[in-house]
Amino acid sequence: MGKVFIPIGPQHPALKEPASFRILLEGEKVIEANVRLGYNHRGVEKACEERTYLQDMYLLERVCGICSHSHSTCFIQAVEEIAGIQIPPRANYIRTIIAELERIHSHLLWLGVAGHEVGFDSLFMYVWRDREVVMDLLAKISGNRVNYGMNTIGGVRRDISPDLYPEILKAMDVLEERTKYYIQVATEEMSFIKRLSGVGRLTKEDVETLCVVGPTGRASAVARDVRRDDPYAAYADLSFKVITDDHCDVYGRAVVRVLELMECYSMIRQLVKNMPDGPVVVKAPRKVPAGEAVSRYEAPRGEDVHYVRANGTEKPERVKVRAPTLANLQAMKKMLENYYLADVPIVVAAIDPCFSCTDRTIEVNRMDKGTSQLLSWDALRSYSIDWYAKRGVRPQDIRL
Amino acid sequence: MAKEEEISESLGRQFPALGGKIRIQRARRMWVEVERADFETVLEYLRKSQGFVILCTMTGLDKGENLGVIYHLAREDGIMLNVEVYVPKADPVIKTVTGVFPGADHYEREIVDLLGFKVEGLAPGFRYPLTDDWPAGQYPLRKDWKLDPSFKTGKIEET
Amino acid sequence: MSLVSRAITWSRIKSPWILHFNTGACNACDIEILAALTPRFDLERFGILLRSTPRHADVLVCSGPVTRQARDRLVRIYEQLPEPKFVVSVGTCSCSGGVFNGCYNMMGGVNEVIPVSAFVPGCPARPEAIIDGVVKLLGSLQATK
Repeated sequence: MGKVFIPIGPQHPALKEPASFRILLEGEKVIEANVRLGYNHRGVEKACEERTYLQDMYLLERVCGICSHSHSTCFIQAVEEIAGIQIPPRANYIRTIIAELERIHSHLLWLGVAGHEVGFDSLFMYVWRDREVVMDLLAKISGNRVNYGMNTIGGVRRDISPDLYPEILKAMDVLEERTKYYIQVATEEMSFIKRLSGVGRLTKEDVETLCVVGPTGRASAVARDVRRDDPYAAYADLSFKVITDDHCDVYGRAVVRVLELMECYSMIRQLVKNMPDGPVVVKAPRKVPAGEAVSRYEAPRGEDVHYVRANGTEKPERVKVRAPTLANLQAMKKMLENYYLADVPIVVAAIDPCFSCTDRTIEVNRMDKGTSQLLSWDALRSYSIDWYAKRGVRPQDIRL
Repeated sequence: MAKEEEISESLGRQFPALGGKIRIQRARRMWVEVERADFETVLEYLRKSQGFVILCTMTGLDKGENLGVIYHLAREDGIMLNVEVYVPKADPVIKTVTGVFPGADHYEREIVDLLGFKVEGLAPGFRYPLTDDWPAGQYPLRKDWKLDPSFKTGKIEET
Repeated sequence: MSLVSRAITWSRIKSPWILHFNTGACNACDIEILAALTPRFDLERFGILLRSTPRHADVLVCSGPVTRQARDRLVRIYEQLPEPKFVVSVGTCSCSGGVFNGCYNMMGGVNEVIPVSAFVPGCPARPEAIIDGVVKLLGSLQATK
């Protein structure tokens, strides 16, 4: 079999591109897909052992910029459990408000990205414009648009002043209005629906066998949500629905995320209305006594798990981080095989993987022609938009 | 804590060797240490008969003379049971659990790469998370491992 | 500079095309770079377009510290950019390794691997800072005319 590289530039037959997706095609159908990760492996767990708990919190916040508060809170909850610290109720409420604001920004981000992957760029621009409402709010509360740095061991670093409450509530009203419009688009625009429906299917059994987490799993009618099943922070006080859908495909995942947005608005309203008074932090020891704890958190992408083992010093003995996307990787194979190459971008985007995936390369091996080529993600996206356009499905033509 | 106690009793009855070793840390958090020889049977029992259908993740540990791995299992009602297994560093072999939890694949590859475990029965495939050119025998998460400065490679000079 | 080089520089200042590459970042800078292209900040009104291949780009915008896996690809992409080329390092990690300094598997900042023309610090760098960095780079091009 001759290997033909279609490169993003001059040919370098000697240099092998590390392809993160290796796909075997027959005609236009994917018959085998293999996913390889590790591009973002930064050695964070080892670094955590060499830094103090507080330094680790800042480091872990930067494991993922989109769900930074998730990692920071999940970690700090484990540390607080080992140290036997009870944080004040107001701190829990503030953590939860930031958590839900983060979920809003993340789901809106995803909606825009999903639009972009299928060529529906106006949706991308509209949604990201609206997302700025949340970014402004987060900046007002925490001082930064991303990587909020709200947590500390024993509570939160900043209080939310009651002057901000009306602004938070107004932002929820504005976003709710706009989200209702996006729900309408998602359920009425046929070309958008056609791109998302019937692709990337995962049955209920698949989800349960492979332990898929987050909206990806909930779109196959598996009602697992750590906020309800293993409550943390202020979730035990809140009334909310766990959103599931039974489409089992990418469309279902879009529906779940958009309806979750509506639940977020409701939860934030409840939190602001019932915010307890009091301090926002308690003093915490520098040395954490020996012990271990497992903390679980429902990040926007799914369950985040942190394990911390302390040994009585200022630095942890072991920190383990399992980000949600890794749990969904096994399912990736199932979701890609037996579908068209043109469906790959939206199926991968639907598990809401980290953005650095825009630099993924795909190695496409054509079984019938015996050739192999490397595609950049953008090239694959253009191919997929054109492939569907030829078949009369053109989300790029939708006028918003 | 009624449910946690029920689980502890059933597990103790099924595997008498574990009786008394099952620790309830708090609501929804349980721990048990298991011998290498029986751990897949224990995991299978937990999945099939006690509702521990979710494998959250696996944590590898370096305990000096031994290497450890913790299987973090959970039920749909939120109860977690963390199953710890220790093996000597000189013989760090465990069996794969992908028969019981197919999702364990990446977690097993991770402890192979980062701690030097050998997992019997793990299907061939890509390594994770280290690069193909990572030197053999270098296990970053081991306590005695330090970064070698020669790992950095040079830069392109300005023209 | 010759007449042709000045014309090329002038056209580059007028509308530089950029290629964005993430070498191991946490994505915070990436989403701020993307946010810079969305209606609130709108880089495109300066004629700055996001391209998908190095061969069409004038400016390489990098985010993230460089992981071992990403290093070779970064070098290759840099080599494929046509001259004259510029590199903007967005975010603290990209400038110096940031919080990941000292982690195994990290090479350090982008300037450990390729020459950088402009550094935009921040964790993450705000879209305004990114625009400022790009505009300052263009200004410095103008100064060498």
